[in-house]
Amino acid sequence: MNELFAFLLRNSKWFVFTFFVAISVTMLLHGDPYRQHVYLTSAGRMASSVYKGANNVTSYFNLHEINGELNSRNANLQAEVSRLQETIALLQEQLFTDTLVPDSGVRHFEFIVAHVINNSISHPYNYLTINKGSHDGISPELGVIDRNGVVGIVSNVGPGSSRVISLLNPHFRLSCKIKRTDYFGSLVWDGQSPEIALLEELPRHTRFDIGDTIVTSGYSAVFPAGLPVGVVIDDDTDRNQNFFTLKVRLLADFTTLSNVQVVLNNQAEELRVLRAGEENDSKKNPFGN
Amino acid sequence: MTKSAIKFALAFLLLVPAQAVIFNHLVLFSVAVPIVFICLIIKLPITVGTNLSVLAGFLAGFFVDVFCDTPGVNALCCTVLAFARKPIFHLYVSMDDDLAGRSPSTRSMGYSAFMKYMSTMVLVYCGMLFMVEAFQFFNFRLLILRIAASSVYTFVLLYAIDCLTVRKHDTAV
Repeated sequence: MNELFAFLLRNSKWFVFTFFVAISVTMLLHGDPYRQHVYLTSAGRMASSVYKGANNVTSYFNLHEINGELNSRNANLQAEVSRLQETIALLQEQLFTDTLVPDSGVRHFEFIVAHVINNSISHPYNYLTINKGSHDGISPELGVIDRNGVVGIVSNVGPGSSRVISLLNPHFRLSCKIKRTDYFGSLVWDGQSPEIALLEELPRHTRFDIGDTIVTSGYSAVFPAGLPVGVVIDDDTDRNQNFFTLKVRLLADFTTLSNVQVVLNNQAEELRVLRAGEENDSKKNPFGN
Repeated sequence: MTKSAIKFALAFLLLVPAQAVIFNHLVLFSVAVPIVFICLIIKLPITVGTNLSVLAGFLAGFFVDVFCDTPGVNALCCTVLAFARKPIFHLYVSMDDDLAGRSPSTRSMGYSAFMKYMSTMVLVYCGMLFMVEAFQFFNFRLLILRIAASSVYTFVLLYAIDCLTVRKHDTAV
């Protein structure tokens, strides 16, 4: 017995080492971002309070560029508003004769403004942390956009902060279409540059030009259709013979993210119920389609 | 012993948040990341037992993982680095009697031995870290570039930290 204890004590460093390696490898292999406990992510109380403190200082750094971008966006919106006002005036005239009902689709989405308090672009799986959480009405699987384009999707929610799976993360695939021709594919990051992602699974007969805009397809409940995502810069097809693959320069600048908007979809619950119903139907009747 | 424990705790509270808030954002050319918090493991007095240093290494890596959303990556690499610390140290220094209780530095080990020790530790860590991360997208050229650039960058910053802190340590110990 004494010899056994002596043996264990003599080799204790190997046991301790193996124990910690085992814990680390377990954490490494359980990579599903939705299953992780919120306290073990950057949205936990400890990490988010440190990031919030640091953000009080660093949020001032990019204000000059942001101001410039906001000004130009403001000018574009101003032009858009005046164009829309003309259209409304025109439509109101027609409304007397027509039975046109204003589309309720625009009110399905609401936006919550949040501030990015942590952001990474150098890992193979990147995440960002925002300073709004469940108290502000945020729940998992909501979309996140910034003033230029799509940023990511919420994965873990703490009371006052949430972790967002960045577009620069292969766990996140975004359904997109080419704005001009409406062909749709799936956008995923290839881990190389924070500015470039790949639009995959486009059908072989897709027509496109360099410089075409890529927008969200709106096939999921997460993002409204038509949000800008990126611009086609190159054809990258030779890797995959059955489908087209395009290189897309992302419009959101992930190196200087600061203010983002979380997309609340008021119809998400309705869509989920519908979809669950569809799955039940197909289970009940395996021969139907 | 108590003194180095307190010193380690303070360095831990300073370096782990600093890694998350500052150093992770000082990425150069989107390849070179300075991994400064491994200073905690490199500077641990060599008389600290392997069990304790593996525990310290795991904790440091674990908390950096929590901050950076890289579950297990840094914890694994830090555990291995803390375990390999003594063998690496004895590659360059044969006796550690006169180093009792003092953390490795240019002053306590001599310039060339410390430089060799630190560069080996940094290279081992960066090599492991980027290889573990490379399981997703394997791109050999990018992997080598990341390891080399990050190692050099980390080494320069750690050398700067050593230059800034070594005098204070020596008069204090």
